[in-house]
Amino acid sequence: MRNALVIAHKDLRQRLRDRSAIVLGLVAPLAIAALMSVAFKGSDTFHFTMGVVDVDRGPVAAGLLKALDAPGLRQIVTVKTIASKRSAADAVRAKSVAAALVVPAGFSASIEGGDPLSLVTLTSVNQTVAGDITSSIATSFIAQLNADRLSVATALAAGVPTSQSAHLEALAAGFQIPERAVQRSIGAHKLKTISYYSPGMAIFFLLFTISFTARSFFVDRAQGMIERIRAAPVRPLEILAGKAMSVLVYGVASLGTVAVITSAAFGANWGAPAAAALLGLAMVVAVVCVTALVMCIARTQRQAEGISSIAVFGLALLGGNFIFLSSSPPVMRTVALFTPNGWAMRGFTDLSTIGGGLGTVAEPVLAILAFSVVAGSAAALLARRAVAA
Amino acid sequence: MVCGLLEPDGGTITIGGRPAAGDLSVKSLVGYMPQDVALYPDLTARENLAFLGRLYRLHGALLEERVSEAFELTDLSDRAGDRVDSFSGGMKRRLNMAAGLLNHPVLLVLDEPTVGVDPQSRHAILERVQTFGRGGMAVLYTTHYMEEAERVCDRVGIIDRGRLVAEGTRRELVARLGQRDRIELGAAGDLERLAAAVRTVPGVESADTADHAVHLVAEDGRWILPAILEAAKRAEVVLNSVDVVEPDLEAVFLHLTGTALRE
Repeated sequence: MRNALVIAHKDLRQRLRDRSAIVLGLVAPLAIAALMSVAFKGSDTFHFTMGVVDVDRGPVAAGLLKALDAPGLRQIVTVKTIASKRSAADAVRAKSVAAALVVPAGFSASIEGGDPLSLVTLTSVNQTVAGDITSSIATSFIAQLNADRLSVATALAAGVPTSQSAHLEALAAGFQIPERAVQRSIGAHKLKTISYYSPGMAIFFLLFTISFTARSFFVDRAQGMIERIRAAPVRPLEILAGKAMSVLVYGVASLGTVAVITSAAFGANWGAPAAAALLGLAMVVAVVCVTALVMCIARTQRQAEGISSIAVFGLALLGGNFIFLSSSPPVMRTVALFTPNGWAMRGFTDLSTIGGGLGTVAEPVLAILAFSVVAGSAAALLARRAVAA
Repeated sequence: MVCGLLEPDGGTITIGGRPAAGDLSVKSLVGYMPQDVALYPDLTARENLAFLGRLYRLHGALLEERVSEAFELTDLSDRAGDRVDSFSGGMKRRLNMAAGLLNHPVLLVLDEPTVGVDPQSRHAILERVQTFGRGGMAVLYTTHYMEEAERVCDRVGIIDRGRLVAEGTRRELVARLGQRDRIELGAAGDLERLAAAVRTVPGVESADTADHAVHLVAEDGRWILPAILEAAKRAEVVLNSVDVVEPDLEAVFLHLTGTALRE
């Protein structure tokens, strides 16, 4: 593999003389991470104004307004009373409120009947989170109401006199449905946006080295250099390994530099240094192996560019470099596990929230290395044919 | 195949007494100059040679020495620190050759080294090739220019449509095909008498007069020239000029391969 090191050293020298390497390896990921840090500033805490229209003016509506004033809800919702449904719709349209909840006339009376009216939620497509929370509040309130009704109906069915129904309703209203699902973060730290997108963008731009290196292989071939190198006592696998290994040094330097700068300048939390370094190194090894495989599969420079583009953007999209995987559909979270960067993002997220050290990243590192073995083995099998082509 | 770029269908290749098949180290005995300039344009001349030298296991002081030597052989020492993309075509060709000399090869393979090269650089390359040959280096030289083959090659092989159709020294190739020397005698006086006199010389196949000269066709013109001069003296004709034209490789090549254009 000595010749591979010679080729890698030469490639690295050429790469560093090309300013685009500095731009893509350092400037771009830092710039994008900084941009996202500014864009998502404040997104770690969420607060919105909700309009409430009480057309009913009954006891149930009053109970809803009282529930909305609970201390727990005040952290995320400011309630604004609006006179009519029409005014509420205008307010949502004008974005003076993010969403609105309308209690229709006769709602309180309909609760005791067999066909209760529905609460109406007015939402905007530009405020989906606020709309979801408003709907959730309405749903929870209705569930509580239904539980109260069920309790009273059960008691009356058991023989309690109907004259006691008002008393029973008051009693039932004092009980609350126990929470059936409690979502609590298991980590000691909350995941900051910058802590997610710093490794996300660093890895995304690391993936671009697949394209550059694969393209350079075919440029070298067009220049006759691959043939010249083959005439020397160099094995075909050493040629591919050498070109791919230049990615190793460049990738480690790029990831490391971005980690240090985003931590110091933007407060990104990459986790314990040793664990983050191991995870980053594993990711770089995976990129090295994918690069070698692309060089073996492609027959021309154009093919290399096309295959690389598919690999780069496919992996980035599926692996969660652009979006929070936790908010993706389950199938996407599963697919991400077939990508090395998906495991890397999981590892960096765990390091940032759960903390810990090497044990936290053991599973992601092993998964990434398994991917690397598959890709690298395929490249090794195809190396001779690829170099001799 | 000699450079290990193609797998042979059959036969064996032996370089320096060692079979080339399956032995990567045999490539260390071969220097290669491809037809197209194969150098990294964004690296300097020295960086290019240093990189290629390391692939042949050269390093440290030995590598420096070989690189300097290669520059001297190709007259590029003063441009060693310049990027290759700043070189002229001829300089690139010379550097291309220099790269093939780093490992002091037993066999130097030159694939059409003078294509697209200015006359000075071409002359320099041919001079170097002759020097290498005199120094004991085996040189495998491919070219479409017959005059280059005649100038630098001890033995010539003619390949047509992938097959070796003839091989030998220049004289052997010419003689095998029965080509004859042409001798032109310029003279004042009775040319017919001169022609008649030289026809009697053994080895002269024909003698004709045209354009104020006598044109002879003979085998081994250089050998029978004294006899021709003697015949002219006996005929009492004073010769003004004697020109011996031996058949050249181009004629041999065209005879063997035909004159039809190739695809």
